[in-house]
Amino acid sequence: MTVHRLLRQFLFLPVLLAACPLHAAAAPELSWAIGGDPRSFDPAKVEDETEETIRYLTGGVLIRLNRQTQAIEPALAEKWTVTPDGRTVVFSLRPGLRFSDGTPLTSRDVAWSIQHILDKKTESALAEEFLKPSEVTVETSGAQTVRVHLPARIVTLGSLFDEIVIQPEGKPCASRVSSGIYSVDQYQPGRSIHLSRNNYYWKHLPQVAGIRLEVMQNRDEEVMRFRRGQLSLIDELPPEYLALINRSSPPSAHDMGPSLDTEQLWFNQGNGAPIPETEKAWFRNQDFRVAVAQAVHRSDLVRVAFAGHATPADSFISPANAEWRNMQLRAPREDKHAALAHLNAAGFRMRAGLLYDAAGNQVTFSLLTNAGNPAREKMAALIQQDLLELGMRVNVVTLGFPELIERLMHTQNYEACLLGGVNVQPDPSTVANVWLSSSEDHQWNPKEPQPATPWEKEIDTLVQAQAAEGDTARRKQAWDRIQQIVADQQPFIYLVYRDITFAASPAIQGISPAPLRPQLIWNIDTWKVSAATQ
Amino acid sequence: MRRPDALWALGLLLLLAATLVARPHGSWSAQDRAQLLAPPSTTHPAGTDSLGRDRLSRMSMACLLSLSGSAVAACLTILLAVLVGGWIGLAPSYARAPVLLLCDLLLCLPLLFLFLVVRSTLPLNLPPWRSALITLGLFALLSWPSGARLIAARVSEARTSAWMLQARAAGIPATRLLCSFVVPYLFPLLIAEFLTCLPLFIIAEANLGLLGLGVGEPLPSWGGLLRELDNSAVLATSYWSLLPLASLMLVMGLLQSISLRKESA
Repeated sequence: MTVHRLLRQFLFLPVLLAACPLHAAAAPELSWAIGGDPRSFDPAKVEDETEETIRYLTGGVLIRLNRQTQAIEPALAEKWTVTPDGRTVVFSLRPGLRFSDGTPLTSRDVAWSIQHILDKKTESALAEEFLKPSEVTVETSGAQTVRVHLPARIVTLGSLFDEIVIQPEGKPCASRVSSGIYSVDQYQPGRSIHLSRNNYYWKHLPQVAGIRLEVMQNRDEEVMRFRRGQLSLIDELPPEYLALINRSSPPSAHDMGPSLDTEQLWFNQGNGAPIPETEKAWFRNQDFRVAVAQAVHRSDLVRVAFAGHATPADSFISPANAEWRNMQLRAPREDKHAALAHLNAAGFRMRAGLLYDAAGNQVTFSLLTNAGNPAREKMAALIQQDLLELGMRVNVVTLGFPELIERLMHTQNYEACLLGGVNVQPDPSTVANVWLSSSEDHQWNPKEPQPATPWEKEIDTLVQAQAAEGDTARRKQAWDRIQQIVADQQPFIYLVYRDITFAASPAIQGISPAPLRPQLIWNIDTWKVSAATQ
Repeated sequence: MRRPDALWALGLLLLLAATLVARPHGSWSAQDRAQLLAPPSTTHPAGTDSLGRDRLSRMSMACLLSLSGSAVAACLTILLAVLVGGWIGLAPSYARAPVLLLCDLLLCLPLLFLFLVVRSTLPLNLPPWRSALITLGLFALLSWPSGARLIAARVSEARTSAWMLQARAAGIPATRLLCSFVVPYLFPLLIAEFLTCLPLFIIAEANLGLLGLGVGEPLPSWGGLLRELDNSAVLATSYWSLLPLASLMLVMGLLQSISLRKESA
C-alpha cells in the first residue's frame, strides 16, 4: 500500500508541477521599441534618442535632474557645493558605492569619467558644455571627494552633470558594468538589447527586473505589437493612434498636454545660400515672414495633422515650461487681412490670385521636410493651401533625412524648411547656440561673420550676457526679451507644440509622465508591475 | 477591339476620365478640413482622405496620370532602345563596344537608387506637374538598356539573315527595306517591350510615391494614395482607403492579361 501511495504521489507530482505557473513567480520584465541600433554604448558619445535612453537606464550620475519637479537631486553624490564664483564644484560620494559587477566605485572612477568626456579623443558632445574643456581640472581627495575646477561659471551645471555617467576607471565597458539602474546584458544588433537590473544600484532594487529594447523602425508595427500585448509601452505615440488604442478596454493611450518640443518652419536667409537673390530679399523681409506666420491656420494643423494632440505655438518656449516662458509675449495672430496688409506694405501685389513682388517676380518657393513623417507631411500640405490664399505658390518637397541634413547644414540649397525642435532641458541656455549668429546651428543664416541685422545683434548680446549671469531672475528677463524679438521678427515661424503622448500597459503602476526627456521612463526604478503582464 | 481585356482596359480609362470630369474642378486637391476621413456621401462618393480631399477624384487622377505618364515614358524608352539597339546591331564592332559597355553599366545599377540620387540633385522648387514629368522622364532615360540589348540582338540577327540577303540582292532600296521588312520584323518585340515597361513604370512610380518621393503634393500619385495603408489607424477608420490598392491590382491584372494574350497569340 505504502509503495502504491508513494508511486501515486510521484506520478501526481509532475502533473502538479506542470500546472503551477512557475513564470508568474519570475520578476517582471518590460519591453518597448527603440528606433534603431545605438552607434556606441559609451555614455560619453551619446547623440541620438536611442543612445540617450540607454544612457538614462544604465548610467549612474553624481546628481540627477528630477524630470517632474526640475529640481537637482543627489544620486551617487550625497551632497555637493558650488563656490560663490561658480568655478569650483565639490562632490561628496555616498559611502559603499559599487558598480554592477560588485567592484567599489570611488572618486578615482568619477575623476576618470569626467576626464574621459573632456578628452578630445573621445569627441564627446558634452565637452562643449564646459565652455573651455581644456581648462577644466579634476582633483580627488580621498575615496569620496571630487573637486572640479571650471574656467567660468556654467549656468546649466545641474543638467550637465545629469548627463555625465560614472564608469569604471580606465575601462569603458559598453554599459555592461554600470553604476545605474540597469546594465546591458545582451545585444543582438538589429534585433534587441536586453538590460538586467543592477543588484548594487545605490538607491534600491527596482521591481522591474529586466528590459528588452526591440529595434523597430515602423511605428505601425510597434502599435500592432503593443495591441497584441508584445510590447509594454510606446513612448511618443504618433497622435493618430491614440483613438485606435483606446478602443480597447481599459484605455491605455494618454495625452499629457504640451511637451517642450516645437514644430517650426523657416526661410533660408543665408548669405552663402545658392538661391536667387530675389528670393533672399523676400525671406529677409520682416513683413513677408510675419504675413506667412499670420496666414497659417494653426488650429487646423493641430486638428488635422495631430488629431488634436498638439497645441498651437507662438514661441520656442512651450507653455509646459512655465518657468521660462514669456507670459506677456505678443506674437502675430492668425489674420489673413493683416497678412495681406503686411505684404502690401512690403511692395507685394496680388494679380489673378497670385502674388508678385515689387519687381514683378511671382512668389513661389519650395518647402522642404523629411519623408516618412506623416504629421509633418500633412502640415506641409495644409500650409501649402493656407499660403495659396495669400497668392504664394508653395511646392512641397520631401527628402530622406541624410539628403535633407546635407542641404540644411552643408550646401544650404533650399528655400524654406519645416522641421521639429527638441528641447531636452527647460533652461533655454541649453539651446543658446541656435540663437547666436556666429553658430552653425543658427539655421536661417548660419555662421554669420557679423550679426546681419540689429535684432540679431541684440539677441547675441542678450545670450552672452545671460550666460555670465548668476541671477536667475535677470536671466529670465533676457530670455523674455529674446522671445519677444523672435515673435516680432519670425526667423522661425512656430507652428505647434507636440503633446506628450504615450501608451502603457495598464499593469504598470507608477508612471508619471514629465515634460523633460526621458518623459516616460524617468522614474522606472519606482514602477510596480502587476502579475497581469506576465 | 475584339479582345475583351483590351475593351475592359479602355472602359476603365474612360470611366476614370468621366469620373474626373464629373467631379467639381480641382476636387483632387481641395481640402475640406471639416470632413476628415469622412465615409462615402453624395458629395464624396468614396469618402475623403486624412486631409479631407475627395478620394474618388484623387484616385481617378492618380490612375490617369500614372497610366498615361507610364505609357508615354514606355514609348520614349522604346524609342531610345530602338535608336541605341539599332546602332549596336548595325555599327562596326569597334563603335559598338563602348555603347555596349554603357548599356551593361546602366543595367548593373539599381533603378530606384539611381533615380533617388538623380532626383535629389534636381532643383527643389518645381511645380507638381513638372515633378511628375521629371519622374516619368527619368524612368524613360534610365530604363532603355535592357530593351536596347534585345533590339541589338534582333537587328544583328536580321542583318545576317537569309531573307535580308535576298532582299538586298533583289535591289530593294534601304528605306523600303527598313519600313517593309525590318520594322514589321521588330514590331512584336517592341509591343512585348512596351507591355513589360508599362507595369514596371507604374510600380516604380508607386514605389517612389510610397517613399514620399517622385510626384509632388497636392498632385495625387498611386504610391502617395497607398501610403494611407501604412497606418492601421486610418485603415480601421475607413475601408475605402483600400480603394487605390484595389484599383492598382485591377490595372495590373488587366495589363498582365493583355500581355499573356499577346504571348499566346
